[in-house]
This record gives sequence, structure tokens and C-alpha cells, in this order.
Amino acid sequence: MNVSTWRMRSIGWIASLLVCAGLVMVLAFRVNALRSQVHQSDMKIVALKQETIYLETEFETRANQQQLKAWNDVEFGYVAPTAAQYLDTERQLAAYAKPAEPGAPSPVRVASADDAVAAAAAFPAMVSPLTGKPVDADSAPAGTPAAATGASAKRASVADAGDAPAARGHAGAAVVAAAGLAGLGDRLSTVRHADGTTATIKKPVTKKSDSAASHTRAALALAKKHGGTTTADAKTRAHAKADAGAQASNRHTAKLHPALAQAGHGAMAHKPAGAPVITLALRDAKPEK
Amino acid sequence: MVAAPGISGASGGGRLHLANVRERSLLTAKIRVLWVVLGFAFFTLTAFARIGQLGLGAAGADHGAAADALVPPRAEITDRNGMPLARAFPAYSLWFNPRALGAKGQPLVKTPEEVANALVQIFPDLDHDTTLARLKDGNPTYLRRRVLPEEANKVHALGEPALEFPRESQRFYPQGSLAAHVLGYVEEDGHGKLGMEQVLDARLTNVAHRAEPVALSIDARAQGAMEDELSRGMLETHAKGAAGIILDVETGEIIALASLPSFDPNRGDLARNALVFNRASNQVYELGSTFKPFTIAAAIDAGVVTDLAVRYSAKPLKIDGFTIHDSHDFGASLNVPEALIHSSNIVTAQIGDKLGGQKMRDSMIALGMNARPTIELPARGFPIWPKGEWPRLRTMTVSYGHGLAVTPLHLAVGYAALVNGGIWRPATLYKVDPAHAPAGRRVYQPATSARIRQLLRLIVVDGTGKKADSSGFRVGGKTGSAEKAGSNGSGYRNKKAIISTFAAAFPMDHPRYVVIAMLDEPQATQSTSGQRTAAWNTAPIVGRVVPRVGPMLGVVPDGHRDVDVSDLTPLVANGDGE
Repeated sequence: MNVSTWRMRSIGWIASLLVCAGLVMVLAFRVNALRSQVHQSDMKIVALKQETIYLETEFETRANQQQLKAWNDVEFGYVAPTAAQYLDTERQLAAYAKPAEPGAPSPVRVASADDAVAAAAAFPAMVSPLTGKPVDADSAPAGTPAAATGASAKRASVADAGDAPAARGHAGAAVVAAAGLAGLGDRLSTVRHADGTTATIKKPVTKKSDSAASHTRAALALAKKHGGTTTADAKTRAHAKADAGAQASNRHTAKLHPALAQAGHGAMAHKPAGAPVITLALRDAKPEK
Repeated sequence: MVAAPGISGASGGGRLHLANVRERSLLTAKIRVLWVVLGFAFFTLTAFARIGQLGLGAAGADHGAAADALVPPRAEITDRNGMPLARAFPAYSLWFNPRALGAKGQPLVKTPEEVANALVQIFPDLDHDTTLARLKDGNPTYLRRRVLPEEANKVHALGEPALEFPRESQRFYPQGSLAAHVLGYVEEDGHGKLGMEQVLDARLTNVAHRAEPVALSIDARAQGAMEDELSRGMLETHAKGAAGIILDVETGEIIALASLPSFDPNRGDLARNALVFNRASNQVYELGSTFKPFTIAAAIDAGVVTDLAVRYSAKPLKIDGFTIHDSHDFGASLNVPEALIHSSNIVTAQIGDKLGGQKMRDSMIALGMNARPTIELPARGFPIWPKGEWPRLRTMTVSYGHGLAVTPLHLAVGYAALVNGGIWRPATLYKVDPAHAPAGRRVYQPATSARIRQLLRLIVVDGTGKKADSSGFRVGGKTGSAEKAGSNGSGYRNKKAIISTFAAAFPMDHPRYVVIAMLDEPQATQSTSGQRTAAWNTAPIVGRVVPRVGPMLGVVPDGHRDVDVSDLTPLVANGDGE
């Protein structure tokens, strides 16, 4: 029994030793196999690099100075730029720009990043610093300077600056601004107008289904502030706009409102808008004289 | 083996004996089995050892070998922007192996005449008779050192197994003949010849540095433009040759150095080719009127000319039985700016005379006109330098560029010193860090240099260099059309053989580059309006080169900027001359 135990133990030791040796062998072989793979890859890289050099040289030979010159003489006819083709400063470049004349073709618009997403990121929802709850629009007195972020103020003033050169009435400006507000949704709370006054609209952050009503309120608040004979007209149009805005919201489209888009683009480009979408927005927002 | 035991006898002893036999047989069998087992064990161990050897040691640490394969046998030469100008390239060569079809019998399938004819059709420049002789000779030899892949395919299509195209690493110049005189070539023994290949031979073949390319100061694009415009000028005027240099005035770097007609360094038969002669740095010429600004600068520097309004007689000058003429009659007198604009030999000679032989000589020595040009190239021509003290007549002729013959490179380096504020720096073909440019030595005062810049600009605006006035580049320069002296001092008999040079710098309000263009014996042609002088052939070359290279070299044309010459314009009555 004793002998058997001793033997069993030694057999066990030997077996484990063999297993370990086998594993070491396997590991060593694997390592080596990998190493030779690396080596092979190295050789492949070298071969490819040599191929690259070969092709590069061939390219440079086929496109050498004399060959390029021959092609230029026959095909392209490029000549060295003259002094008049160089600009020294941005000022010189700007001197070439001129405002678009009446009847000029509309500028080409290209697809751009989704402005509403940027707007949502730039203007967080207004919450009360005390309660941490959304601020009620009606509770804040209109006309006081809002604690809006610099970015939002700038945004609004850009929107208005676009309207100012268009020589619209104050009420018109208000409506456009209001419509722009509606388009921006519930986020925008402060609008600075061309005449320097600042309107603040504070309202709760509403759900999508409520946005129509809030848009109307915002538009009305602005229109009322500027008064004038066009108020009623503006009101109806603002209603229509707000409805459109609501529909847009319901469709979960996050596009910048056409009116604001018009105002903003106008401010930057100083050019009348011509795209169909913009024309629609103008017709909606502009008061009849 | 044990002998078979007897069975007869006592049964007890027999049994014992039998047991003994059995024992022994068993032992024998065991021993045999042991041998077999040992044999198997040996083979197994050997097999394992081999497996182990293969598994553990085969792919040793030859990691570096892979990287070594990318190191070229000769380092690359690049231009200043890293564009390769010379590199090792595994090109095909055409090798005749007569034993390809076995040691016995004919080496070729077709007759040698047919093969030679076919080869000449593929390679028109191959000599038929030599090729035929080689094919008939039956010794393995190169038929051609370099073969293009297309050509190799054509040779393959001939179906001759004896024509082999082994790939060999050879020196290759992707830009062909571009900057051939700067680069040189590599001979079959693997050593560089002629240009930087010869100068850098040790560096390029050094095992430690082979992997890093050597950057020259040359800009391949500027070099291409220079060669292109020079060759156009050469063709238009039926000139024998041309040379052109673009030099950085602040560092002495040579941006372009061209000598035409050029050669293709990719060809192997260049050893005795006449085209390898470098006109820009090896051939000396009397460069004529382009020397006048040197005289005026030396005179202003020495205080000999203090007032540019002083007028000098412009009547032919008789001295030691020799009369100094001008190309045209410019009236009774000229002042210094007019003398330069009209290129008056008479007035310059008078100023040189006033300056004196010693000072004239010293100013030329200061510009390095008495020694080989300072450049790395082995091809450097020694000037024809009048020895000893200069007599009065010699001083006068040197003042307008005769009696002293230098290379166009001397002229370029001298003009760099004229316009860069008066500092002479040696020319170099190595790329130089602007922060570590050689200090150089002062040759002219800065005020003199500023004055010369105005005068050179005036020559281009109002004088003989009008055709070099590229809009916006503020080019300034001086024409020179010198009659070539005959061989053996036979004088200037051949009035039609002239050296036409235009030495220019741009932009003149802050000079960055000197541009020299020279034509050897240009003829009067329709394209030069029937004129042979520099105003009509080399000035237009510079006028075309500058707009092509300026923007690439960082000089932006500007029509609103120029060097102020308002204090000189009242002194000048416009007109032409040479």
C-alpha cells in the first residue's frame, strides 16, 4: 500500500512535469510560429516598400519636369500667375465683394448641419435658479433684460440685424422675430430688436403638443409690444405660423424655422432670399402695408 | 550464438541445461529489443531535436535584415524639397547567356544576324555590328546595361532563351537630363563621375549613411524652368550653347545651374561625351558689359564717384594706340546712370581709369575673380587673370568686362555681393540652413549696394534690360554682349561670334535671387528681331524665367512695390544702347 502510494505520487509528479514540459513546448512553438509570422510580415512590408519605391520612381520618371513641360505646351497651356492674381491681405479680398443688386440670382444654398440641434445645445432650458423648475413665461415682466447667455443674445441680434436693412416696420420686425422664435421652439427666450429694446419671453418648457399655443403667445407678446395697425394681421399670421411650427414639431423635424433661417442668412449674406422655402416664410411673416 | 546443446545424458542435468538455454535466448531477445528501442528512441529524439530546433531557433533575430533590404547600395540625392534626383533602382539589363540552351549546340534559336537585326529594331541606338559580334562570339556579356520594361517585353517576345534580363540595382535619374551637370553620373565600376556623384562618392557609398538621402541646394522646379527657357532661347537664336544660374544672395545656395546642351546621365556611354562639359562653372568667358556695375560699385565705394550727375565725355577714347568705342553714339557726354543704361564703354573706362589699376584689381580679387569659382563641383574653370600690375589700358578694358575671362558662376556670385548689401559669400550646392549661412566677407558698403540696386533697376526700367522687366517682380540687371576673342590671342576678328549675357537680381527692393542667363554665339534671327545682343535674347530669357520661378521660390509679384529710384530718374534721358 505504502509502495503503491509512493509510486502513485511519483507517477503524478512525473505526469505533471510532462504536462508542464509539453505546455512549455507548445507555448514555445506558438511563440516561434508567431515570430516567424512577424518575420514573414516584415519581409512582405519590405517587398511592398520596394514596390512603392519602384512605382514612385516610375511615376516620377513619367512625370518629370521635361515631360510635364511637354504636356503643358501641348495640352494645358498653364502660365505663371501675374501680379494681379495675388492678394496681400483679407482687406484686398474684401474689396472685391459688393452687395447683390436687385434681380440678382439667388445664392446657391447647400445642405448644412442641423441648426436646431446646435440651438438646443447652445440654449439650455430656462429654469429657476431657486426652485430648479422650469420658469413660467407669464410670471416674468416683459421688457426687462433677461439673464440670457451671450450666445443667445447674439443669435437673436443676428436674426434682427437681418431684418433691419430690409426696411420693414417695427411691427413687421417683431413678427418676423416672433416667427423666428416660434421656429426655434421653446428654447429661445430673449430677442433684441433693431431699435435697441429687448423683449423677454419667459414661458415653461412645454411638451411638443403644447408648442403651438406657446408659439402663439410668444408672437403675440412681441406683436403687442410694438402695437400698430398690423397687430391683428400679424397675430393671425403668427397663429398660422405657430400651427405650422406645431406640425413641424409633431413630425419631430428639427429644422431651423424658415423665418429665422431667412433672417439669419440675410444678416450674413446681405442678399434677398430666393429659395422657395424662404419665400413662403417671408409671405407668412411680412405684414401687409 | 550458443551451440545447440546435446539432449542425451542425465535428464536432471539436461533440464538445467535447457533452462539455461532458455534464459540465454531470452536475454538475447531482450538485448535485441533494447537495441531496437534504443534505435527508435534515438530517431525520436533526433526528430524532436529537429522539431525543437525548427520551432525554437529558425526565425531568429534577423529583424534587422528586413530593414537592411531597404537601404540602397548608394544613397539617394534629392533636391532641396526632397524630390529624388538620383536613386538606386532595380532596372533591367540585357544579358547574353550562350549556355541557356545547354553547353553544346547553338546558343541562339535564330541566326545571330536575325537576332541582331531584331535587337536594333527594339533599340535603335544599339550598334548593329558590335551586337552581332557579341552574339557570334559566344561569351556571356551585357548587350545593354539598362532596358525599359516595355523593351524587356519586346525582347522576351523574340523567344530567345539566351537573351536574359536580370534585374540589377542601378543608379537612376528620374528627371532625365535635368541638372545633369550638377549630378554627374555613376560609372560601371560604381563610382561617381563629374558632378556631385563624384564629390559625394565616399558619403553616398558609406554603409553608415547610405539610408539618409543627401539634399542639394537645387530646386528641381526652378532648374526645370531655367533649362526650359534657356533651351528655348538657344533654339530661337541658333546659339552653340547656353548657361544659366539662379543663386540665393543671402546664403550662396545654387537654386539652379544649367549648362546646355545637356546629356542624359542614365546613359552609360558618357565617358568621352563632349556634352558633359559644364559651361556654367568650367568655361571662362569675357562677359563684357555685365562687369560695368562692378566698376561703378568699386568707384562709388572708393569715393571716386560721389556725384552721379557728373557728366563724362562720350567721345571715342584713344589710349595707347587703341580706341574705345561705344555701340552707338550717345552724344557728347553721359552721367553714370546714363552710362549704365546705355552701356557706355567709354564712360566706364574713364571711371575705371580714375579708380586706378590697383583698386580695380583689388576689387576683382575681393570678388574672387582671380581664382577658380568656389563650388563643390570638380568642374571649375580657372579665370584668365592678367598677371602683375595692370597697365592703364588693361584697367580700362577690365572695367567694361574685357581682358578678364571668368565663368558665369563668378558673375553670379559677384552680383549676389553687389545686391545683397555688399557681402561676398561662396556658392554652394549643399542645402544651407538660413540661420547658419556662411558669414562671408564685406566687399562693398551697404550704401553702395543700395545705390547699385537702384541703378540695376533703372537699366531694366529705362535701359537695355527692358525685356527682362517681368511685371511685379522688380527685376534689375545688366546686359552684356561681348565679342568672343579668337583662339591664340588672335583678337576679336569674328565680329559675329558674341557671348550674350544678362545678369539680374530680383526683387530689387529686397534682393533674394540672382539670375544669370548666357548664350554662346547667338545668331540674329527673326524671333530676336534680327538682333544678336543680350537685350534681345538673354534679357527675354530672364524675363520669362523670373515669373516662372519667383512664386515657387517665395517671391510674390507685387505691382505696388518697387525700389525707389526717384532720386535718379531726373538724371536720365531715356534711350537704348548696349
